[in-house]
This record gives sequence, C-alpha cells and structure tokens, in this order.
Amino acid sequence: MTIDPILVSVLARAFRSITDEMSACLARTTRSPILCEAKDFVTGLYDAEGRMLEQTENLPILSFSLGPVCKHLAKTFAGDLHDGDVIFHNDVFSYGNQLNDVAVFKPIFFEGRLIAWAACKGHQADIGGAVQGGYNPNATECWQEGLRIPAVKVWEKGKLRRDVWDLIFSNIRLDIVQEDMRAEMGACVVGERRIKSLFAKYGADVLDAHKEHLFSATARMMEAEIRKIPDGVYRGEATVYFDGKHPGSRHQIRVEVRVEGPRVTFDYSRTDPQTTGFVNGTFTSSASATTLTFLQMVNPDIPHNEGLIGPLELIIPEGTILNASYPAATTFGNHLCPPNADALIRALAPAIPDRVTAGWNQLLCALTTGNDPRKGGAKYVDICFMGLKGGSGAMAGVDGYDHIGMIDASGGVLDQDYEMFEQQTPHRLVLHEYITDSAGPGRWRGGLGVRTVFEVGGDGTQVVTFGDGDVEPAFGLFGGGPGTLNKIELRYPDGRVYRTTSKDLVAGVPAGTLYVQEAGGGGGYGDPRERPRDKVREEVRAGLISQEAAARDYGLHGGDHAR
Amino acid sequence: MIRIGIDVGGTFTDLVVAEGSAERGPAVFKVPSTPEDPSIGLVDGLEAVARARGMTLRDLVARVEVIVHGTTVTTNATLTRGGAKVGLLTTAGVRDALEMRRGIRERQYDNRYTNALPLVPRHLRLPIDGRLDHAGREIEPLALEAVEKAVSTLEDEGVEAIAICFMNAFANPAHEKSAAEIVRARLPSAYLSISTRVLPSIRFYDRVSTTVLNAYVGPVLRRYLDSLVGRLASLGFGGTLLIMQSSGGVVAPALATEKAAITLLSGPAAGPRAGAAYVEAHGLRSCVTVDMGGTSFDAALVENGEATTVTEGEIERYRLALPMLRIVTIGAGGGSIGWVDEGGLLRMGPKSAGARPGPACYGRGGVEPACTDADLLLGYLDPAFFAGGRMALDREAAVRAVSKIAGPLGMSVEEAAVGMARVIDHNMAQGVRAVTVERGHDPRELPLVVAGGAGPLHACAIATELELPLMVVPRESSTFCAAGMLMADLQHDLVRSTIAPLASLDRGELGKIVDDLVAEGRAILAEEKIPDDRVRLELQLDVRYVKQYHEVRVPASIGAVRAGDLAQVAAAFHAEHDRLFGYELSKQGTPLELINVRLKAMGLTDKLVLPSEPRGPSDPSSARKGKRRAWVSDAFAEVDVYDGHGLVHGALVQGPALVEQVNTTLFVAKGFRAVRDRLGSFLVVRASSEQSLGASVRELLS
Repeated sequence: MTIDPILVSVLARAFRSITDEMSACLARTTRSPILCEAKDFVTGLYDAEGRMLEQTENLPILSFSLGPVCKHLAKTFAGDLHDGDVIFHNDVFSYGNQLNDVAVFKPIFFEGRLIAWAACKGHQADIGGAVQGGYNPNATECWQEGLRIPAVKVWEKGKLRRDVWDLIFSNIRLDIVQEDMRAEMGACVVGERRIKSLFAKYGADVLDAHKEHLFSATARMMEAEIRKIPDGVYRGEATVYFDGKHPGSRHQIRVEVRVEGPRVTFDYSRTDPQTTGFVNGTFTSSASATTLTFLQMVNPDIPHNEGLIGPLELIIPEGTILNASYPAATTFGNHLCPPNADALIRALAPAIPDRVTAGWNQLLCALTTGNDPRKGGAKYVDICFMGLKGGSGAMAGVDGYDHIGMIDASGGVLDQDYEMFEQQTPHRLVLHEYITDSAGPGRWRGGLGVRTVFEVGGDGTQVVTFGDGDVEPAFGLFGGGPGTLNKIELRYPDGRVYRTTSKDLVAGVPAGTLYVQEAGGGGGYGDPRERPRDKVREEVRAGLISQEAAARDYGLHGGDHAR
Repeated sequence: MIRIGIDVGGTFTDLVVAEGSAERGPAVFKVPSTPEDPSIGLVDGLEAVARARGMTLRDLVARVEVIVHGTTVTTNATLTRGGAKVGLLTTAGVRDALEMRRGIRERQYDNRYTNALPLVPRHLRLPIDGRLDHAGREIEPLALEAVEKAVSTLEDEGVEAIAICFMNAFANPAHEKSAAEIVRARLPSAYLSISTRVLPSIRFYDRVSTTVLNAYVGPVLRRYLDSLVGRLASLGFGGTLLIMQSSGGVVAPALATEKAAITLLSGPAAGPRAGAAYVEAHGLRSCVTVDMGGTSFDAALVENGEATTVTEGEIERYRLALPMLRIVTIGAGGGSIGWVDEGGLLRMGPKSAGARPGPACYGRGGVEPACTDADLLLGYLDPAFFAGGRMALDREAAVRAVSKIAGPLGMSVEEAAVGMARVIDHNMAQGVRAVTVERGHDPRELPLVVAGGAGPLHACAIATELELPLMVVPRESSTFCAAGMLMADLQHDLVRSTIAPLASLDRGELGKIVDDLVAEGRAILAEEKIPDDRVRLELQLDVRYVKQYHEVRVPASIGAVRAGDLAQVAAAFHAEHDRLFGYELSKQGTPLELINVRLKAMGLTDKLVLPSEPRGPSDPSSARKGKRRAWVSDAFAEVDVYDGHGLVHGALVQGPALVEQVNTTLFVAKGFRAVRDRLGSFLVVRASSEQSLGASVRELLS
C-alpha cells in the first residue's frame, strides 16, 4: 500500500486527541482527590497486539507499563476476547506497577475483528491488604499489601459479572473505589467510540499500514536523538536508603549505559539484590522509570508511541531490587524511580552535559487516613501531594523548576486546592510556602522546595510515609551545590515531636497535632559564583536566598547589596 | 439614532454602523489600529464614518445612541506583561500559591520549560494573620495592624493596584471587607481587587489567580476607558458606551473597570452571537462558528442561540475562573508556517508569519512556507486580486518557500502545497471537533458559520472531513465580531458558594442566597437604566455527586428554588452528567451536593437588524469573471471564478468554483453548491446531504 505521509500526521494528532479526551473525562468524574485533584492516572490507546499508539501521561511512571500489560492480555485471552469485554488488572507479577494502580483495558472490535485497546490506569484510594491506602512498610509478601487482580474480565460481552465485581470490591475498604473504577471504564468507552470512528472513516487496512509508518517515523526520530550521544559505555549509581525494616540499610542501583550508534542499552546487572521488605521494584515500574528519565534527555516533541521504545534495550535481572522475584512485596517500586533517575543522570552527565539536569528532589510522601466527624465519621484518604513536591535539578542555561515534585511525575501531578483540602479532610492548612535556601546553589540554581504544615483534625488518624531523600540531598553538577533534605515531623499537642522515617506507619495521631513536612530543593548546576549578581540580589530580596547563603554560596558580599 | 459596534484588533479597527431599522443595512468601516492608544484609532474610525455620511465628527457623535466596544487592551497588557505593579495581601502561609500554580509543569518531558513569571513578585505578596475555617467561621481575628503595615510597604513600593485574597473568604467576606476598608482609607488612589467581589467561589488558587489578574489589568483598563470616555465626551457624546466581556455580554464602563478581568478573553466573544443571527435567518437555533484569521482559528458552539459559558480559562498560564464563552483557539491561520519534523512528518503551525513579514507570497521578506503560500499555489487565490487587487502576490516566492517542504518529503511543490492544506484543514477540523464531538454534539447536525479572511477558502475541506451538511459564509465575514457586538445584551454574572447536601440543605438559607443575588442583579441593571420588562434573570446551580471534586452546572427555576423544590435540579443534574460523561447514578441513590449558586442578570438591548436583499435570478453567469487553474480534490482543473459582489440573493453557483470578494475568497469544492441568501451570506451545501437541510435552504437551492 502507498503511504500517504499526510495521513500519518493526521492520525498521530487524532490518537493524541483521543487519549486527552479520555484523560479529561477521568479527571472530571472521579472522587478520590488522588485522581481528580492530583491526576495520578494515565490513559492510552494500543493496537491489537498491545503496541502503544498514544498516551496521555499525567504520571509517566504508570504509563510505560500499560503496553506490556496489554501485550500480556492479548496473549492470555487470545481467541477469547469479545466486543463488550472489560478487563481489570493490577498484578505486579504480570507487568503491573503497584497494586493500588488498577488498570482497565477494553478491547475494541471493528467488523468483527480486534483492532485496538483503550486503557486507563489510576492510583486507587484503597486496594485492601493490611493497611488502608495500600502502603504497608511491614509487608514481606505481596498478599500483605493488597488484593492481586491478575487479568480478570469484569464485563463479558457487555454483561457485568456481578460475582466478580463483588469478589473484588468486598476486598476493598472504600466505596469510592467502585465509583472511580466505573469512571476509568467510562473513559475507555469514550476512547472506544473515537477510535472506531477513525477505523470507519479510513478502513482497517489503511489505518494499520499508516500506523506502522508512524511507528517507524517515531523510531527514526528517537534513533537520531541517540546518535547525538557519543558512542561509549557510561556507568552511574545511586543509593536507596532504608528498606523499611532495617534502619541504616543501603542498596545500590547500578546502571551501565551502552550507546552504539542508533541504539542504547540500559544494563542493571550489577544492581543489588531485592530486599526482604516492600522496597522493591517490578520490571515494568523500573523500565518505566528508565524510559521517562531518558525521554527528558532527548527532544521532548517526539510523539509517544511504540516507535519510541524500539531503540531502547533494558536489562533488569530478576532478583534485583529493581525486578523482585515472586512473591516479594513491591508497593514501593514506583518510588525507586528517583534513585534510578539519579544513577542514569550520573552515568550520562559526562557524555551529554548540556542535556542532563542536576539531581531532582526525591519523593517523600505521606498518606493520611481517618474519619471526618463533620461528615458523620466518614472515612477519607488523602495523599499530601502539595507537601511532597520539591524542586527539580538545574541544567545548563535553566534554573531548576520550583515545587515540581518527583521526576516520575515531572509536574504532571498537582497540589490539592487548599480550600478543597479543608472541605474534603478534617485538617486545616497552616502553611505551604517555598523554603528559603532550599535550592541547590549554582550558576543555574536548583528548583525550590516547600514547607507544608497542617493541623490534624478528626479521629482515627493514621499517617503512612513512603519515600526517600531524607539522608542524601539532590546532588549538584559541574560545580553546583546540593539541594536540601526531605523531612516529616509530627508535633503532638503534648509537646512531643516525632520525626518519621522514610517508610513509616504512625497510628493514633491525635487531633491538634501539627503535621510538618519539608520537601527539599533540587541540585544546582555550574559554579554559583558565576550566577549573575542581580539574580542573586533579586532572590535575596524575595526571601528565597538568605543573606548568609548569598555570601557563603554565591560570594555575594555586603557591598554587593547596594543597588 | 445610530448604533456603532467597534472591534479594535491588533491590526485593524472594525466598525459596524446601524441606523434605526435601516433598510439599507449596516455600513462597515475598517481603519488601522493605533496600539499605543487604541482610542485614537477608534476616533479615526468614527471620523471615517462621519466622512462617508458627509457630516462632521461632532454631528455624528451627537447622533450616536450606543457604542459597543470590544477591546483587547487588557489581553495585550497581560500578553506583553505591560500590566500594573500589583501588591497582594493574602493569608499568612499561602502567599506562594499564586506563583506555584499548584505545582504544574505543562511540558513534562521538557526540562528547559520554565515556570510562568508571577504577576506579583514575592516581595510584594504580603502575608496577613487572621483565619477563617472551611465554613467561614473565624478562628483567628484579622490582624488589622498587619494590614496597615503592609499597605505602607506597598505604598513605598509604588504599587498601582492591591489585590486581597484570604483563605475561605468565599464562605465569609468579613476579613476581606475589613482589609479593603483600610486600603481605601490609606491608599485611595490604588486600584482595589477583592477576591469576594471578583469571584466569591471556592478554590483558593482559582480565586487568587483571578483576583490578581484583575488587579494587574484594572489600572490599564481604567486609564484607557477614562481616556476614551473623556475623548468621546469632548466630542459631545451623550449616548451609552458599553464594553464587551469574555462572556459575550456587555457592561457599562464603570463596572468593566471594577471587574477588569471580565474583558480578558473578550476578543472573539462577539462571534458566536453574530453566527447565531446569520443562521436564524433559516430558522436554525444552533450552529458552530469558526473564525480563521492570520494566526489563530477560533471555534465555538452555539446552542439555542447562545454559546456555552465556562469558568475554566487560562491566560498566560494563569487561571482565569470568570464566566467566558467556550471558544477553542488553535494556532491555525493564513500565516501558519509549515515544517517537517525530525521523523519526516509534515506539521503546520503554531508558529505564524503574522502580518510582518507575512507569508512568503506577500513579498515582504517572508521565506517560510505559510498556509497562504499553499493556497496561492493551489490556485485558490488570484495573485492579481488579493485584498481586492490592492496587493500583488509573489508566486515565485511562494514556490521557493513551499520547496522547503517538498524537498525533504520528496514531493513536487504542488503536492507539498496540497499536503500543507490537508494538515491545516485537519487541525481546524479538530478545533471544531473539540467544541462539538468532545462535548457530546454531532457536528453533522449543525451548520458551520465561517468567518475570517482565510476561513472561506478552507470551509469545504473542513466540511468534508467532518461530513458537515451546510456552511454559512456571512457577507462581511471579516467584520463579523463588530457586528456581533451590536447583538449583545448587558450581562452580569453573580456567584455564591454554599456547600451542602442537596437533599438536606437549609431551604430557607438557599432561598435567601437566591433573593440576595436577584436583588443585586436587579440593582446593577437599574443603575444601567434597564427597564423591568427588559430584565432577564437566569439561575444556575453547580452540583456534583458527593465526594466528586468537579461540578456540573444545571439551570434552575428561580421560583422553584425559592419554594424549596429541588427535584428538577436533581433530575437535570443526572441527565447532564450522563450526557457529558457517559453514566449517571440516580438508581444507585448516590447523594448530590450543591457547591455554587449562580445568577446571570441580563438587560436586553435592541439588536442589530440584518437587512434583506431582494431576490434575483438563480443564474450566476453575469457575475462570472473567467476561469482559473485550481486544485480540485485530486487534480488541477479549470475552475469558474465569480465576482462575489455581483452575485445576488438567490444566485446559485456549482462547485468547483471560486467566489472572490474584496477581503475574502470562497472556494466551493467539487460536490458542493453555494447560494446567496437574503442577508447576503453564501450558503455552501454538500450535494450528498441536501435532503437533510431545512426548508428555507432547500427552497433557495431549488
């Protein structure tokens, strides 16, 4: 068939508008603030074999695992897929991210043939298991973390399997999860309608041929980008601190990046073994982390489809902390992205100094659950997104981005609105501000971190923390300085102060306790003494840099303040 | 009595003049804009009108009853960062919310993408102690001395405007009122923007961002309107001046000044109303309007004579949460530049050649291939009759520019031009899709009103892509917005947040809120001298399922809500949720929650009457100018060219054909027919869908 290059352009745009529409649909209809306020979800379209056509990636760490699951489903259900089927999936040992990240897949049929899949994956507020909200630092096996849903048909040929639905949701604490799964399904229906109309318009043969062409055009763009990196072998490593069980424990992520012409291999063979706790990755969460970090080092305008992935090879041996063997606990897996990214940046910084950032602030997060007496004691779950977002690393020519959050979201996950936070939880926000001197100093400074304080209200309050960045700050590059550390403290009404660990579970937090969190700044890039003086003075004036730090880090002395 | 609509754009100031019920129809004028002080260009325009009528400017102005004015001074001030120096008083602890923008980075993979610059720098965002809880109850009194001190600081800094936004003020404006009193007493000349006056609804970031935007453009609009009012007064103007808002309504200058942010996205806001008037001639109440200019393409859906209103807009990446028409703007215009990306895919825009240097064929030094260059090479434009022959087009320059596309793609120049047109047509079709399909409307049931200089050339391609049956190309498509201004009503959008379960909320309390809003709306309209019989009040409630975060807006009867009857509201909510999102939960018994009460208070104005032309013969041959080689669906062919000004009401043109008018050319593709209606619009109809058209259109075609 002759390829019409214009139609290829048209299709690329059409796919994107479909996944965007699915995303808008989900954001408008879900209940959990994790989904509708923070947008901790992704939407995507895949071809019959599960190859990515396009994705809307509010949280990229979730997105590069939909394709592998889709390929798995296409094989598992081969010959047993029907119009009207809807499949749920969250199993981490068949390409899932984390049990809370529950995906919906809808196979799409046209003229009696499977032509594509619409899929969504969102972080659900609860997934059963030992701890409400899913983060169980005491877990040693996946069953202690939550309900495993291997690929399960919840609708078959358009008919709801009530028994299956009840089985799933009788193992989940919160009713809103049912509503939010319905919303994920609704978004898939919207995607299905749109992709079917494309097939009706152009015909399956034309569409398939042009899709292949789109994949190869995208692969060519990616290959051109890889060729810009000098051939060679580059090594980097980073430390994961504390496995949630053994204070002071450390685990190394080691990557070897091999660049050969248009291809790049990421080899994690020398990475440390898996832990006995929940600080373990799954293959797909780790592969997602590598992909999304590398994508930030290439042209950001390359369309996101299967062609993007072809030139990348990943070697992540089973049994390592990045690819734990069954039946390990792995809830923390997505959060190994920040140290993984650090290792990759350190490896590639010497090769492409103008295309890497300094270190980003790593995630440290808290999930609060409890009862809201203002609403008859109704349960709520809140992830403190506004508190977890520190600064990004600086790069040549650009300061880091303030209050952007972990690299695996890169600014796609949003703060709760303050007033909505006070409506939907019994807490009261006291403070949410940039932290002075949190940015790693540099010719280009790191992004600023933030301090968040709220007063705990209601009863039955439990705080679960997960993350990192409380031992080692975001690193600077080429003479830039480090950012600041993460920290979460509970200041009890009786005066006691408890500083949480990075993987903690604190129950019985009384009303009146102050929750105090610092998300650190990102690393700086280049010698801070070369930063333009007026920029430093401006930030001293704004209170973002103290006089002392201006003198110490930037060499801006008293006399320099004269304007 | 004369009424004038004046649309001040970046390049031209358009005027549409209507007199009484004028048989001869509105007169149209176009003069260059004067960006340094747009009121100069406006008065130049009035002078042009006076000259054409053989009268002095003063005589004309004395006879003008109403001037409706659309201005982009606030938009431009924001886009060029030429707004006022603003100070912000806000609750201690949250002063960075404005700059943080909830922590978003719109381009996730682009580490070179920097945050939007804050409209108020940090040292002018001053924290004030004092706190209300989520229900508006005082937890900590307002620190009055801190306000005093902050005002002194801002005075020393020389701010022109002060914005006030406190946590939970939507539930209780007392703290903001107290702070405002201090500001008024201490700094009476400062422009004051108070969140509970600008936008008294929940969501702190939306409110602080909107309130600051209002402060940022308030002094600019105040200066401009003061100057304009003064200029008009000195010319003896005794009529009413009205200002266009983003919502599509108009408002008196004093109110526009107080809520300056209501004008921020008003540029294309008059279009949908005008579009409605052109299709109404055929008994149609709904349509899609599109306006394709040099750099952008605006699309809007009109239902039952009105465009959809939303409250989620952005300008310069800052949230603007005031009512505005849902208008989708994409970067597609005559100046859109084509390029080949690294993967070898052809793209169009969003970069535009603009007016300077303009497309390569303008011969003003442009070298990049623009949409207009492709249109020229495809034969749609006559190099000798562009802008009515006032400007010659350089075909060779267009060939050189389009070669930049043809080379890398291994195509002929003409094939590349075809490709460019297809990509941009597709982009525009996506824009139409965004306001129709994505909102649950089938575009195949709606006429498309096509305005803008470049729109009529591409209309048939959009229609083909979306299978649209009917397009309407208004006679004066380039002054479309100015005409729309003479069709706008006075409009005031009032809102109160009150969060409560719908089933158990205090009906008396809700009734009181409605009464207050009604009283406020009536008071404003009374001030604008609107008689009671011209007042129209529309109540809307924002409702959601409990625990949802986003609301659906549903219309409500004032009488029923006052009487405590909310059954219709609930039913309307379920239905709307189902339409928008594909499901509803009335059977599950999921409770509903009320979030906002909104009142649209309107003062109905006299509308521009579009005049009818007498019916003439359907044979168009007397207007035929000749033939030209042009691209017709899959090959070049000799195509009939008509003088559009010579075609009369009833004249019927078979596609493929080109219809040339001074400011625009209409391409009637193969398989389409065009007929001129009584208003002078061209109705362009797809042959295969003629049976689906209304009687009025069918009669013209017969």
